[in-house]
Amino acid sequence: MIGRDIDEAGDDVVALAGLPADTSLRHIPLACGEHLLLLVVRCENESDGQLTTEAGLLTKTASDWVAAAPQPCGGLLPVVTVPLYGCHVAVTPGRAAVLGPPARLDGLAAAVIEFANREAELRQLERRCTDLLESLNDDAHHAFQFDTQSLGHRDMLAARFREAVAVRVQLALAAPTVHAAAVHPPTLASQLGERLRDRTRLVERHEFAIERAELAERFYEASGQRAADFGIARRQMGLEWAIVVLLVIQTVLLIIDILAGRAAT
Amino acid sequence: MSLWSSDSNRPPRVAIVGGGPGGLFTAWHLERLAATPLSLTIFEATSRLGGKVCTASFTAADVRYEAGAAELYDYSPVGHDPLKDLVRQVGLPMVSLGGSVVFVAGRPIANLDDIVEAYGEEARRELTSFDIRARSGITPAEFYGSGSDHVADAAAGGRFAAMLDGISCRKARRYVDVMIHSDLATEVGETNCGYGLQNYLMNDPAYMRLYCIAGGNEQLMHAITARLAAQVRLGTVVTEVAGGPEETLRLCLRAGDNLQVEEFDVVILALPIDAFKRVRFAGTTLADAMRRHVEHHDHPAHYLRVSVLLDRPVPSLPGDDAYLMLDAFGGTCLYVESARDPCGSHGVLGWLLGGAAAVEMAVLSDEALVAAVLGSLPAPLAACRDHVVESRVHRWTGAVSALPGGWVRRPADLRHRPSPVHRGLFVVGDYLYDSTLNGVFDSAEHVADWVTAESLGARLSARATPFIKPTEASH
Ligand SMILES: Cc1cc2nc3c(=O)[nH]c(=O)nc-3n(C[C@H](O)[C@H](O)[C@H](O)COP(=O)(O)OP(=O)(O)OC[C@H]3O[C@@H](n4cnc5c(N)ncnc54)[C@H](O)[C@@H]3O)c2cc1C
Repeated sequence: MIGRDIDEAGDDVVALAGLPADTSLRHIPLACGEHLLLLVVRCENESDGQLTTEAGLLTKTASDWVAAAPQPCGGLLPVVTVPLYGCHVAVTPGRAAVLGPPARLDGLAAAVIEFANREAELRQLERRCTDLLESLNDDAHHAFQFDTQSLGHRDMLAARFREAVAVRVQLALAAPTVHAAAVHPPTLASQLGERLRDRTRLVERHEFAIERAELAERFYEASGQRAADFGIARRQMGLEWAIVVLLVIQTVLLIIDILAGRAAT
Repeated sequence: MSLWSSDSNRPPRVAIVGGGPGGLFTAWHLERLAATPLSLTIFEATSRLGGKVCTASFTAADVRYEAGAAELYDYSPVGHDPLKDLVRQVGLPMVSLGGSVVFVAGRPIANLDDIVEAYGEEARRELTSFDIRARSGITPAEFYGSGSDHVADAAAGGRFAAMLDGISCRKARRYVDVMIHSDLATEVGETNCGYGLQNYLMNDPAYMRLYCIAGGNEQLMHAITARLAAQVRLGTVVTEVAGGPEETLRLCLRAGDNLQVEEFDVVILALPIDAFKRVRFAGTTLADAMRRHVEHHDHPAHYLRVSVLLDRPVPSLPGDDAYLMLDAFGGTCLYVESARDPCGSHGVLGWLLGGAAAVEMAVLSDEALVAAVLGSLPAPLAACRDHVVESRVHRWTGAVSALPGGWVRRPADLRHRPSPVHRGLFVVGDYLYDSTLNGVFDSAEHVADWVTAESLGARLSARATPFIKPTEASH
């Protein structure tokens, strides 16, 4: 109930004042550490599946509340609203509202939570890709030139390579859910999940993220190779110097030996 | 000299009869595949190209609607989709179309939750098990390859009605009936199992999706025509086909009052099956072969389209769908055509009636038809009745083909060359596949491949002749 969740709702309780008493505001922790405030509003429909006038007003109140999601999550994605066969869903990072007849609400809420988890996870991976690409910009010169001064960056480059691989792995793990086939015959929840996936372009975003992570992975793999080559070259040079010194010593000893021999005769 | 004889210095003369999608696709393929120049002529009886792909306009406002084919099938979720590639290649914008609401007795059914709520848990079970049977009847790969020889028509034989009888819940069966009939030009029970299943499974995005061309499907016909080098002769009716000397074929042509006879090496009849009845085939062998061809494929089916212009945009459908299915007229599809042109100030609704209802209703006056379809509007769109500005009716009685129960498709070569004696005579048609644009596209490609391969073969053997028998060749 709104009353019970007053802490999470904060100032919004005023905005939500017009909603029915049995409206619930759920605080859902998402897998990636973010959380979702999910407003679940019961409203009845006409028998032909249309929203009643009252339901229309509730929809507006709830959608406005979703649109007013605070930063940092709010504003990252436009509010996605899905009118769906007598139900209504509005979603943005951090907030969502589900309106519909009581029997449909649980399925819709589950689909929204599932979607919010996927979307938040993907958003986090996109952020990590952006960070990687930004650091790649600074590290670009290591791809061509790796010298003694660069040695101090080796561990950092290795860490970024590991990060790129980790992002790729996460993206690969997310692929089956992002590319899940449409359910047939559909359920209301599956229809909602598919529409949310389409409207937020989850599939395309996932593909772009893979491309960006691949770019970072290839770059850091190449700079790792260059760093390793540099290390090997340095060791080889040390070895060569040691051989040269030994040869010089040997030559000197030989000369001393020859000179000593001559002196004796 | 015909295409099939060994030497000739002039390009083979190819006639394509019919300037509908079949004729245009064939010309497109031929011009792209032919290794040697072809002299290509398209004969079209009417004054426009495009056949049943026809985007018309209202007079009260310059707003378009589809009078014929409204949707193209997108097979790209399963495999390569050459028709979609062509649309992309000619640079036309596509709009995907979706719709899952079936109005049964005024109640919208869009998913299994609605089924349970309206008809109970038992109906859901029945439907789910029918769905499983349907999917095991045709896999997405079989669906994709249907019509080609290497994919067996596993589920083709038998009547679809028998399969539907497996759904004992009357209401659930009605729901499936309406869903299928809304896109079928015949009765659900009368079609064959394969075709019925295809019409059911086309609602599953794993099998295929639907799209249309923004601004009208006919643009595809214009885009192809603009890229063809072929000579196009509009207003020219082919009245007779006869065998000519040395395996050539003669066409009798009528352009206005003007009658002409012309000779060709290859003649490709890209006509709907009902148009064959208006062409005379001279000579017993040819006439017999064509009679057998028509008899085998003549299963007339019917559509009727009613399109209505509204003075304001149509309210968006629940779920933002582009069409919905109604149980009126045995199952009809109601397109919100303005969804294809979202910025318009007007709205367009289009009903596609099929099968027996299309025949029965075709006798009504346009006014009566418009009143009948407006009466079928479901509650969410009922207010549209007060905003009608203009309406149009297109009767397509007998203009399409059905695949009747028990009907099994012949191998592709047999389908496309009806007379083994007249090797230069080919047919192209949607009725040889699944009565769709994708079907006629495949048919056109098959014939174009065949003609180019044979013409190349003939040219190669003509060139080889002097080296094999120099003395004979010099005579
Ligand atoms: C109402 C309706 C809705 C449809 N909806 C769809 C859909 O959504 N999706 C889909 O894929 N398909 C749909 N179809 C089917 C699609 O329109 C056909 O598959 C396609 O038009 C077949 O092309 P065609 O060239 O074989 O025949 P047609 O389109 O009929 O073209 C034949 C041409 O030949 C000309 N002709 C006839 N006789 C002669 C003659 N003697 N001499 C010279 N020219 C002649 C005709 O004037 C015509 O231009 C629909 C059809 C109808 C009627």
